[in-house]
Amino acid sequence: MIWLTWRQHRRQALFTVLGLAALAVFVVPTGLSMRHDQRTLDPGRFADTYGSLALLSILLLVVPLLIGLFWGAPLIAREIEHGTHRMIWTQGITRRHWALAKVGLLGGAVVVFALVYGLGLAWWYQPLGQIDVRQTRFAEIFFDMQGVAPVGYTIFAVALGVVAGTMVPKVLPAMALTLTGFVGVRAAVALFARPHYMTPVAADQLVRGATGKPTGELDGAWVLAKEVRRADGTFVTNGTFRCPATGACAGDTEMGPGAYNHQLIQPGDRFWAFQWIELGIFVALAALLVWLAVRRVRRLA
Amino acid sequence: MIEFVLDGRSTANTYLQLVQQVKQALRVGLLVPGDKLPRVREVALSLAINPNTVLKAYRELEIEGLVEGRPGVGTFVTATLAGASLAGQAELRAELVGWLGRAHAAGLDDDEVTALIDTTRRAERGTSGEGTRDGARARG
Amino acid sequence: MEHVLEADGLGKRYAGRWALRDCTLRLPAGRVAALVGPNGAGKSTLLHLAVGLLRPDAGQVRVFGEHPYENTTTLAEIGFVAQDTPVYRDFTADELVRMGGKVNRRWDATLARTRLAQLGIPPRKPVGKLSGGQRAQVALALALAKRPRLLLLDEPVASLDPLARREFLAALMGNVAESGTTVLLSSHILADLERSCDYLLVLQGGRVRLSGDVDDIVAGHRQLVGPRHLTADGTVIRERHTDRQSTVLVRTDVPIFDPAWTVHELTLEELILGYLGEAEGATNHAEWGVPA
Repeated sequence: MIWLTWRQHRRQALFTVLGLAALAVFVVPTGLSMRHDQRTLDPGRFADTYGSLALLSILLLVVPLLIGLFWGAPLIAREIEHGTHRMIWTQGITRRHWALAKVGLLGGAVVVFALVYGLGLAWWYQPLGQIDVRQTRFAEIFFDMQGVAPVGYTIFAVALGVVAGTMVPKVLPAMALTLTGFVGVRAAVALFARPHYMTPVAADQLVRGATGKPTGELDGAWVLAKEVRRADGTFVTNGTFRCPATGACAGDTEMGPGAYNHQLIQPGDRFWAFQWIELGIFVALAALLVWLAVRRVRRLA
Repeated sequence: MIEFVLDGRSTANTYLQLVQQVKQALRVGLLVPGDKLPRVREVALSLAINPNTVLKAYRELEIEGLVEGRPGVGTFVTATLAGASLAGQAELRAELVGWLGRAHAAGLDDDEVTALIDTTRRAERGTSGEGTRDGARARG
Repeated sequence: MEHVLEADGLGKRYAGRWALRDCTLRLPAGRVAALVGPNGAGKSTLLHLAVGLLRPDAGQVRVFGEHPYENTTTLAEIGFVAQDTPVYRDFTADELVRMGGKVNRRWDATLARTRLAQLGIPPRKPVGKLSGGQRAQVALALALAKRPRLLLLDEPVASLDPLARREFLAALMGNVAESGTTVLLSSHILADLERSCDYLLVLQGGRVRLSGDVDDIVAGHRQLVGPRHLTADGTVIRERHTDRQSTVLVRTDVPIFDPAWTVHELTLEELILGYLGEAEGATNHAEWGVPA
């Protein structure tokens, strides 16, 4: 099975390695020069020079999806589209053996790839992430290219592609299904699940006499909600409101005395906890999908 | 050694065609006792026919005492059909010529004569109760 | 008599529709059997159940007395060539032979290579670049290299030209003569079957319509033509009438002696068509919006 798997996928493997090498040609020099300039340039100039790269890095986010589309989806869909599953599944080994060997070998390759890609991306992005800690640590998209999360996305994308290939027996529709599923799940997790990984912390500050930044925003925390409340806790408006310690203030009549700014935050030091939770979720999803794929394979004919 | 050919338009069973070809070869002296018939595999491969059919034909010939199978060696001719004649054929033939003359005089053409012979033969077999086996074989 | 393949009340359902239903049959050892029926009759489904690709939804199927689903012991005894003779098209024939050795416990690579050499198949050309006939021969060689006791072939010659078809069947028959393998071959090209098959299974609408020894079947059927309202002996398979005449396909063990009937012999092909044609005649003029 090892020989067969290698023989079947060696061209794909070659293209992937070439693609990764091409990325490295871009990532390694820019990464090194960022590290150098970070020490020598002042933060303002550094941001001017490299800020645009942060946007470019968004392109790197699609790499897991590409791997899912071109490795995961065709794995089984191509066999079924060409009918070769009936040839290989009627040799002397069980389908389960076949599926586990394929998924195992491919899974191993994908994990290696995901580690190289994910940790490489995180390494490259790190200097950019320090330009504006508040904006770039937790924010959607930026959170997704740091730390260990990209490893999880890659593994998940491939598993999703494999399952899609067992659901629709043609390569192109399987790819379309993978694309939709990947974008859907990623968006859903980022928007609806991630804010609740840990119980948010409330940070309150009286409207009267408020100065400086609200407490939560200081250390790169993730602000989930900002609102103004009256002394009894009822909601007034979204946003932050500040009044001098004494004298008239525009919102006095509406807010009344004792009004305060209420913030819900995920403190900045939870960043790594969130990264590991995100990785855990996507690896668990991938494991579930692989189990589903092996189950489906045993029912196809 | 002979080579078998199949008549693609014949409705006869493949195995019967093989049997008849061997018998024909025996009648005309193409095959004589001691000759070897082609191997089953060779016949199956060259005609793309079921080897069981070839075996069946050879078995039939064996039952009729015309050939003999020697395990591991092949199938060999043991008898001949050459020179067989039908006694009394001339007399029957003369009677038939007379009958055909009467049939034509009665206005029957060749096709009608054939149809009459065919149906009469079957009706005669039915009443006499014999020929069940022959009937089954007659399709050959 | 030893039965290689046995099915009892076998059924398989796809999305609520029975692809195969109440299928009961016995395939004796050493036969070359034809599995015949129109498209959608359940031929592939029956073969997939027999090779263990599918699990029955009703009844059971046994190959060499065992259930074949996910059973590698049975699988080792079965050579299977699926419809359109699928093989990895970017592999060379030599690589496919090598592959077979890695995924089978019993594998006669020499047999496969010898066969392919005899057929003049290039060993180092991707099989996707070979002709359809050559690819079918590669698929057959791979199936035979398992040294199977049962060979299941799903429409192996359907897409081949007449010459390639004949060559394929010749290679198959040559192998049967050597190894005595039992063969079950599905096809809708009836003309090829009469000479290569000695056992017949006719499927229609997911059910077995007719099964048995080809010679017995051919001997047991007659086409009768005679005046209308005449009753024929035996089981009537199909009848057509004009205002004066009846044409009847009957199954009977006794010869037809009634002189009112004109008796016609049937070829296997005519006979099968007689069975399959019986279900026709359901007019759908209304659906087409034309008067019947």
